[in-house]
Amino acid sequence: MSRLLEKNLSRRRFMGLSSCALATVAVGSQIKVLKSLAMTGEVGELTNLPSKDVFTSCGMCVNKCGVIARVQNGIIQKLDPNPNFFIKSRGMLCARGNAGTKVVYDPDRLKYPLIRVEGSKRGEGKFRRATWEEALDLVAKNMNDIAAKYSRASVMFASSEGTFSEHFFLQLAECFGTPNTVRHPTLCLSSNIQGFGATYGTNPTPDVLNADYVIMSGANRSEALITPDSIDMLTGDGGKRKLIYLDPRFTKTAAKADEWYPIKPGTDMAFILAMINVIVTEGLYDSAFIEEQTVGFDKLVPHIDPYTPEWAAGECEIPAEDIRRIAREFANAAPKAVYYQGRRSSFMANDTQMRRAMAILNTIVGNWDTKGGMIPNSCIKLTNHDYIAPWYDEDIPGRLEGDAITYISEKDGSWPVLRDRALAADPYPIKGMMVYKQNVLGSVPNRAKSIQLIEQMDFVCTIDITMSDTAWYSDVVLPEATYLERNDPLECLGGIVPVVAFRQPCIEPMFESKESLWIIQQIAKRLSDEIYAEFDFTMEEHIHHQVKKNPQILEDLKTKGVYFENTSPVYGKSKGTRLKTKSGKIEIYSEKYAENGHDPLPVYSSPVTVPPNRYRLLIGRHAFFTHGTTANNPYLHDIMPENTLWLNVLEAQKMGLTEGQMVKVRSAVGEQTLKLEITPKIRPDSVYMAHGFGVLSKAQTNIYGKGGSDAALIDEKYCPISGNVALHETFVEVLPA
Amino acid sequence: MNKKRYAIVLDTRRCIDCKACTVACKAENNVPLGRQNHRNWVTEEEVRGTYPHLGQSFTPSQCMHCANAPCKKVCPTSATGRSPEGIITVDEKRCIGCKYCMTACPYDARYYNEEIEAVDKCTFCQHRILAGRVPACVDTCPTKVRVFGDINDPTSEASKLLAKHPHRVIKEGMGTKPHLFYLI
Repeated sequence: MSRLLEKNLSRRRFMGLSSCALATVAVGSQIKVLKSLAMTGEVGELTNLPSKDVFTSCGMCVNKCGVIARVQNGIIQKLDPNPNFFIKSRGMLCARGNAGTKVVYDPDRLKYPLIRVEGSKRGEGKFRRATWEEALDLVAKNMNDIAAKYSRASVMFASSEGTFSEHFFLQLAECFGTPNTVRHPTLCLSSNIQGFGATYGTNPTPDVLNADYVIMSGANRSEALITPDSIDMLTGDGGKRKLIYLDPRFTKTAAKADEWYPIKPGTDMAFILAMINVIVTEGLYDSAFIEEQTVGFDKLVPHIDPYTPEWAAGECEIPAEDIRRIAREFANAAPKAVYYQGRRSSFMANDTQMRRAMAILNTIVGNWDTKGGMIPNSCIKLTNHDYIAPWYDEDIPGRLEGDAITYISEKDGSWPVLRDRALAADPYPIKGMMVYKQNVLGSVPNRAKSIQLIEQMDFVCTIDITMSDTAWYSDVVLPEATYLERNDPLECLGGIVPVVAFRQPCIEPMFESKESLWIIQQIAKRLSDEIYAEFDFTMEEHIHHQVKKNPQILEDLKTKGVYFENTSPVYGKSKGTRLKTKSGKIEIYSEKYAENGHDPLPVYSSPVTVPPNRYRLLIGRHAFFTHGTTANNPYLHDIMPENTLWLNVLEAQKMGLTEGQMVKVRSAVGEQTLKLEITPKIRPDSVYMAHGFGVLSKAQTNIYGKGGSDAALIDEKYCPISGNVALHETFVEVLPA
Repeated sequence: MNKKRYAIVLDTRRCIDCKACTVACKAENNVPLGRQNHRNWVTEEEVRGTYPHLGQSFTPSQCMHCANAPCKKVCPTSATGRSPEGIITVDEKRCIGCKYCMTACPYDARYYNEEIEAVDKCTFCQHRILAGRVPACVDTCPTKVRVFGDINDPTSEASKLLAKHPHRVIKEGMGTKPHLFYLI
């Protein structure tokens, strides 16, 4: 193996080294990175470091699957799935999970605190290396200056799910005194939480493993991986399982489905209402269940009358006989039948009502909290960390956009509305932005407007592991240790069968990266003594506090990498209990919606017709990327180096466009250029592009200049009930570039 | 006791083309970066039918560890060998990089690894098997498309699958006697 060291490595980007000075014995792509860094003094000597297997949790997406890190001589050589984590992740690790080593050993990762060079403009990417001391002082000074000049509410905090440490950041926001936190849900699943919550008092989990009949509309589980659903979807009980899939695209889930229907975008509600119509008019519903556990069925019956399959066929372009047959099959398979609500529900502006329709359909077949149906989530109790936000003897206004959305989540906010209000300083200005691992410029629709938002800020600070577009536009960039280098608090992964997961460092944090808790504590310390007082604990103390009522949790995590109390579902726990709705029952008819001026039963309205010579822009995921965060990962970049614009074959012929040519895609808010992919796998009235390309950050060296950004094209329509963005309401022109 | 004969049985109906196997293999076996470098892969088969009546399948693959391996026959330095369990191996010290084996392989299962200056390919993760673990691609697969085992042991899961289900091998007519078995 020593031969390898003598070979010609200088071609590689990292290198520029000869091998003779290196004394290490391990071989492999991870160590090559380290060796090169050792040469420049960026990391220490690599000898005599420990070899061990470390249990931890994946941090590449929200699933947080169980991982065993194989550490050799202090280097994370390989990440393997933790078989003990079977309940949640079914003992697997996806492409992203396997690419985790390249998050740590990534030449593009953030290594040191950075400060934008004085006199340079945001977005020019001119940064200088700073000490932690200088960078943290600057952050605290700016936050306090903005609070003094405007108000504490004038500093907004944007953060993202997927870490186990986000709550520390939100605690900082609350202790600092701002109501303006904005999290990911309004770019993702707010309408799901709202629509199902209004019906059940909770957003339940479909029991995919045990359902005999599953309908997924737009939930692309083969590519937008959710554990264990993506695996269970294919597990079917003795061949009885039927999977019906509605999507304007022929995705990899469509390839696995028993039936695929290229539904017209924005018409899912018509399909669902027609299914309800069939089930109601043919008496296929569960009358005993409806009688006992629901309210409002009597109002549903007349409401549903006009929504026949024949009517729906004209809307959603799925034949009436298929709708009727599917409704009968679904009711017949019930209660082991689920209309799967998916996760990202940011499709159209009426999304909350569409999710209500899904919940009502599930309700009337009586699949609530029973095997193969919709199951309320369980969780394992951990002891909370309590804190008391300091009292400020000054008038701090309420959330900036608090009055614009009916059911705005206190911590989540609503991105598109908050941004508009901030740009108009209505009713007050937002001049500071603290970002924790949210890529605002990559994720929030209408990127040009997000850039305007940043440009009018006095100060922007981003904490991340990589130079995202948002970090690229920041004044101070603070490097967090990656998920494989840090401790994280324990977290219960709720679901049908809950587990507790955690993270422990596999190696010491590289370069000058730091655990997020340390970063937040250091900012707190510089803001005020009162704020710091609420952060005066160590991670170890925090974790021990979490398990003080059940220390076995931590024991199991250390020895097995997971803690659980049941290995199989417990059904029917909610039976006889009051649900968290106004009536305490499942609300088919929503009194509270009626009181707030929203339709108490879902009322269908047709989506806006695609204008001539335009296409509806659809966006989506691949199994090898998590949103905008992983496309630059070298392993994953190998799989998909750029995104393309999908266009139906017949449309391409009409326009005389050819496969692989560059095309301009133009919407009302932006224009992007990317490669054309001609395919039969999409409806002729729509085009599609994957999320995560067309980046602004030149520090994402693998993908800068590749593909197009969906955020730059999407118009920022949103749902007035939940504040969720509507990502599929944008029309684009396609022109040869 | 019978001699061991390792093989992989694949149920491609379960494959969602997520590429977990490809990345797991690259990380496990230090396969150099670059799309052209891989020990295993998933082929997206051509879309069947016309819109809106479409179908598509995905075929994961790797070295077939043929019993009658053409790559082994053409190697001028005997760098390509076979382990007692049937694993086709490449001794990187003996490999002179002539790439005859790459031409001879009907499955295109080999690539030239510029970092080790030798031809490289799937070894069923021999080093993992020795440590009592299954190959990385088998271990990591979300939907468990691949089942690895000793097909000379009738009680192995791989043997049971082959006994129970009809199966095929790729390019059977070439007489290579491949040991990747695809369930039909």
